[in-house]
Amino acid sequence: MFNPFPVAIADYRRNRLLVAITLALIAIAVAIGVAVIAQERALRQGSARAADDFDLLIGAPGSPTQLVLTSVYLKLQSIPLVSGKILAQATTAPGVRYAAPIAFGDNHQGYPIVGTIQDFANRGGTMPPSAGRLFAHRGEAVIGARVPLEISSVIHPEHGQHHADAGDKEQEHHEHAVIYTVVGRLPPRHNIWDTAILVPVEDVWAIHELPTGHARGSVQIGPPWDSARLPGVPAIAVKPESVSAAYGLRGKFRSTESMALFPAEVLNELYGTLGDVRDLMSLLALATQALVVLAVLLALLVGFLARVRQFAVLRAIGASSAYVFCVIWLEVSVLVASGAVLGLALGYGTSWVLSGWIATRIGFTLPPSMGYEELLLAASLAGIGLIIATLPALLSLRQPIAEGLKA
Amino acid sequence: MTILDDHLKISDLRFRFAGQTADLFRVEHLALAPGQTLGIRGASGAGKTTLLHCLAGIEPVSAGSIRWGGQEISSLSPSALTRWRQQHLGLVFQDFHLVEGLSALDNVLLPASFSAWRPTSMLRERADALLKRVDIGSPSRPAELLSRGERQRVAVARALLFEPKIVLADEPTASLDPENRHTVSRLLLDLAREHGATLIVISHDAALLEQLDGQLELRDGALHTLESVHV
Repeated sequence: MFNPFPVAIADYRRNRLLVAITLALIAIAVAIGVAVIAQERALRQGSARAADDFDLLIGAPGSPTQLVLTSVYLKLQSIPLVSGKILAQATTAPGVRYAAPIAFGDNHQGYPIVGTIQDFANRGGTMPPSAGRLFAHRGEAVIGARVPLEISSVIHPEHGQHHADAGDKEQEHHEHAVIYTVVGRLPPRHNIWDTAILVPVEDVWAIHELPTGHARGSVQIGPPWDSARLPGVPAIAVKPESVSAAYGLRGKFRSTESMALFPAEVLNELYGTLGDVRDLMSLLALATQALVVLAVLLALLVGFLARVRQFAVLRAIGASSAYVFCVIWLEVSVLVASGAVLGLALGYGTSWVLSGWIATRIGFTLPPSMGYEELLLAASLAGIGLIIATLPALLSLRQPIAEGLKA
Repeated sequence: MTILDDHLKISDLRFRFAGQTADLFRVEHLALAPGQTLGIRGASGAGKTTLLHCLAGIEPVSAGSIRWGGQEISSLSPSALTRWRQQHLGLVFQDFHLVEGLSALDNVLLPASFSAWRPTSMLRERADALLKRVDIGSPSRPAELLSRGERQRVAVARALLFEPKIVLADEPTASLDPENRHTVSRLLLDLAREHGATLIVISHDAALLEQLDGQLELRDGALHTLESVHV
């Protein structure tokens, strides 16, 4: 058994710069592909996870995407309100575990204040606060995991939305007289709702001088509401009792007065659009890799031609053609395979960094992970490299020793 | 493979490059006894290196016979020729042809990697001893950091790793300064004689050629005797 490693390693040492550049080229090409694929998947998984808490959404007729963006991702914008009558119907409809109004319009230091009910805050009892308790009275608030407030802190709500990325000039808000006291903190959900401050919806209505769904002067929170005293809300998050109930409710609330949708369906449509973009990006990444493979191939051929004499000398002093074949094949293969592995790591690292950066902008966590597609991508490139490596190696078999020595 | 008696016998050897109408050279008969040393000189382009390559089984002959120790090397398959070269032949080139990126010691041990994953301790000891013999003080120095004289001395040590009975050297002193020329000539001759190897040297170096048992000149496509040698 021969050992081609000494010559291969020596060649690497001698051509450090060329090796480093080739390695970097391969790694970057793989990393681009890996990052694109991983990021797209993370976006899909992250957005889907963010929508987990919203089985069925009811809103005023309009844009489904806008309704989802506003309620699921808290991309707060003016949307038509669905009437209190619909809220009352949804609350008492058969097959509904709870129907939670989602009312917003205020913030505290940029953290959105959302009026809702206890059942939504603790997801029907499945998500008890990690500290403190749920709001139980008017003027109490329970905060998301990423809201930097202590229990017992006092919140002065400001009207308007705080645009963190906009200039101060664009912030239009004024403080209300009402204050909230933080009574609990929710466990992390890894989405934008971790930055939300949940309060009784009645307080939000009251602040905006709307009826509260209860008799004047009442301090009751949550349903049952008096339908005659219910104001409109931007959205209603409905937790159905079963899948079949969900479909039934969706049909029931699709009318001229309201629309009902599964956020997952809307997201699927978005994924369809994103999928086209991903295909395009994947194609670009693939083209980059093809160019890199071509560049590597050319570099290898030039490198081989420059070393014809060395290989002839090896043959002349006793190396078999198999030995020389292995030296060349090994050098190229190890280079391409290392580049692919390095590219995987680099792509994954880039994906982590991008996820963190994007998460701060879109409001939900992107869980980057290594998937089958990225591994396939890197393995394909490595596989192509192993095949390409045989070309100069095969050329060496055809090269007569005497001719090589004269080269 | 037949057992070698380290005796060279050439009969009716002809060499012609493909596409040429005339032979580059012809050698009707040449015989060397084991341990004999022979110098071959000639003008540039006369075919000296090609003749050496034929003797090493690197260049296929057009006609005739080259027998080393009774083994007709032109009848060997490529793989058998490779084995034959590894076991019986030491080659020294004008330009040393060390592998840069490897140390002096690793260059000497390189031929061992052609047939084994790692060299035996015996071979390592031999490589160390050879490097001491050729006066390389730092065996771990990379080949590219060695002087030309040192490189050729390492190349000589590499050629002798397996104690070959045939040593072929192509202009071994041509690219060296006078002092190194003398040192390398001396080492090549001494080591070949110590191991009883048959040594054939292509050279223009008169001082080196004078130390050999005989000299031939390749001229007009034929070998001409210059000194006493069995031709």
